[in-house]
Amino acid sequence: MDKILVILQKEWLEIRQQRGLLFGVLLPPLLFTLIPVGIIYLSGSLVSNGSLPSPGKSFPGPVFAGMTTAEQGQAVLGSQFSIFYVLLPVLITSIIASYSIVGEKTSRTLEPLLATPVRTWELLLSKCLAALIPGLIVTWVSGALFIIGTAAFAISGRVFSAIVSPGWLVVFLLWTPLLGTVAIAAMLAISSRVNDPRSAQQLSVWIIVPFFAMFFGELAGLQVLGLGFTLSVVVVLVVLAVLSIWGASRLFQREVILTRWK
Amino acid sequence: MNTIETHKLTRKFGNLVAVDNLTLSIPEGTVFGFLGPNGAGKTTTVRMLAALIAPTSGTANVIGHELGAGNRSIRRSVGILTETPGLYDRLSAEQNLIFFARLYDVPAQRAQEQAERYLRMLELWERRSDRVGGFSKGMRQKLAIARALLHEPRVIFLDEPTAGLDPEAARTVRDFIKELRSEGRTIFLTTHNLPEADELCDLIGVFRTQLLRVDTPANLRTGLFGRGTQVRVVGDASGWASTARSLSFVRQVTSQDDRLLVTLDNPDEQNPYLVQALVMAGAQIRFVEPIAHSLEEVYLELIEDEPAAAVQN
Repeated sequence: MDKILVILQKEWLEIRQQRGLLFGVLLPPLLFTLIPVGIIYLSGSLVSNGSLPSPGKSFPGPVFAGMTTAEQGQAVLGSQFSIFYVLLPVLITSIIASYSIVGEKTSRTLEPLLATPVRTWELLLSKCLAALIPGLIVTWVSGALFIIGTAAFAISGRVFSAIVSPGWLVVFLLWTPLLGTVAIAAMLAISSRVNDPRSAQQLSVWIIVPFFAMFFGELAGLQVLGLGFTLSVVVVLVVLAVLSIWGASRLFQREVILTRWK
Repeated sequence: MNTIETHKLTRKFGNLVAVDNLTLSIPEGTVFGFLGPNGAGKTTTVRMLAALIAPTSGTANVIGHELGAGNRSIRRSVGILTETPGLYDRLSAEQNLIFFARLYDVPAQRAQEQAERYLRMLELWERRSDRVGGFSKGMRQKLAIARALLHEPRVIFLDEPTAGLDPEAARTVRDFIKELRSEGRTIFLTTHNLPEADELCDLIGVFRTQLLRVDTPANLRTGLFGRGTQVRVVGDASGWASTARSLSFVRQVTSQDDRLLVTLDNPDEQNPYLVQALVMAGAQIRFVEPIAHSLEEVYLELIEDEPAAAVQN
């Protein structure tokens, strides 16, 4: 446990000293929080002075039942941005993990590190936690601010419940750590083959492609983040996370790192 | 007592045999020089002995721990200077050392003390708070050596410790190695710097996938070239070569300008008879001195031959 803490301290010390990395970690959550909260606020203002244009249709789904068109408009706008919280943990953990792992490769610190008595699982766990913990903290803090902002600016309780739905809460609390774990494992695999953090990040973008399908579904007015759907995805993500950790642990062996990582 | 013992240690990468049946014994407190050309398998050997990679076959014992079952104990007990220093550029010198010391199970307070001790010893204390990214090559190398010593290992692997260093820094490192030897530590040194190996090493192993020869520097020279005497005469020496050859104890004679180069089994006893024979034949002797073969000559002679069968030490 000691060694894990020692490595975590070192990792976070290095992160704090890289301005570019800090920028990449803090800016997206800021935008992902300010933009949707701002839009919810603006739409609320437009409703209160009668300027919000009618969406021109009623939206399907039980969550919109009984809502006025103004409420539906604000609920749809807010829901579209809630999908950002699927992207955030993947984005932030990938950025941190890419610098962490590829950085060790390019600075040739892996061999002296592996020459110490530290076990590879301790090193792997430290690397994962060093990326996952900040990723989760940033995601949850920005999500909490989104919830507070929505509560403050939603024109009704029904709008708030439509945006901060049970399904969204499952995404926010359960998907995020699992997605972060999968992203880190993927970054480990990618980092074993590339020698530049930016290349690793570019390749990792493919992880979030499936989630764009959800985004466009939300844009089309479909209620993608329903409770049933989100809970079933949790099961899939747990399996995926376990498999990805298993795969990562096979890649993160002393022998493999020293002889096969390029 | 031997701190390192290997028996037919072999490492293959696919069809490539990097290390072939290495059998070696290194006594405690020895500076062992491991010489070989690039790609000979030296770094692979060091990695196996430091329990970084597993051998394909064979066994090794490092400080009483078997390779394989005792890997963690080996890593805890040895220090290693890798081919590239491998330091964290964004951390300071002191932070780098304390981090690695903690990974070697050195308690926090002691890690601080050890970091200070070695930073002072290697003349880096004034730069302890500076980021390593701004260090020169020599400073990085010294810091990496300090890192290898924080946990007071009994065996230290130094992979080309003076490579790329300026003469002053290289001298500092060599003096430091001598100091480590005086403390009774075993040092396994790989180097391409043959004069350095000659200066520092108690034992030298010449290696190219297989171990070609292991011995003290002096024995390597005499074992390969024999012992010899150089006789400087007045005029052309070639006329006196036949006189020297006629002596039964002379193994080989060559002449170069005014010098006769004579290979003997025991120059200390045979030189007087050699000189007497030449004088009686009419040669005028300017001076007589032993022939000194450099370690480089020994090394090149061994490496240029076809690899011999692995030498049992």
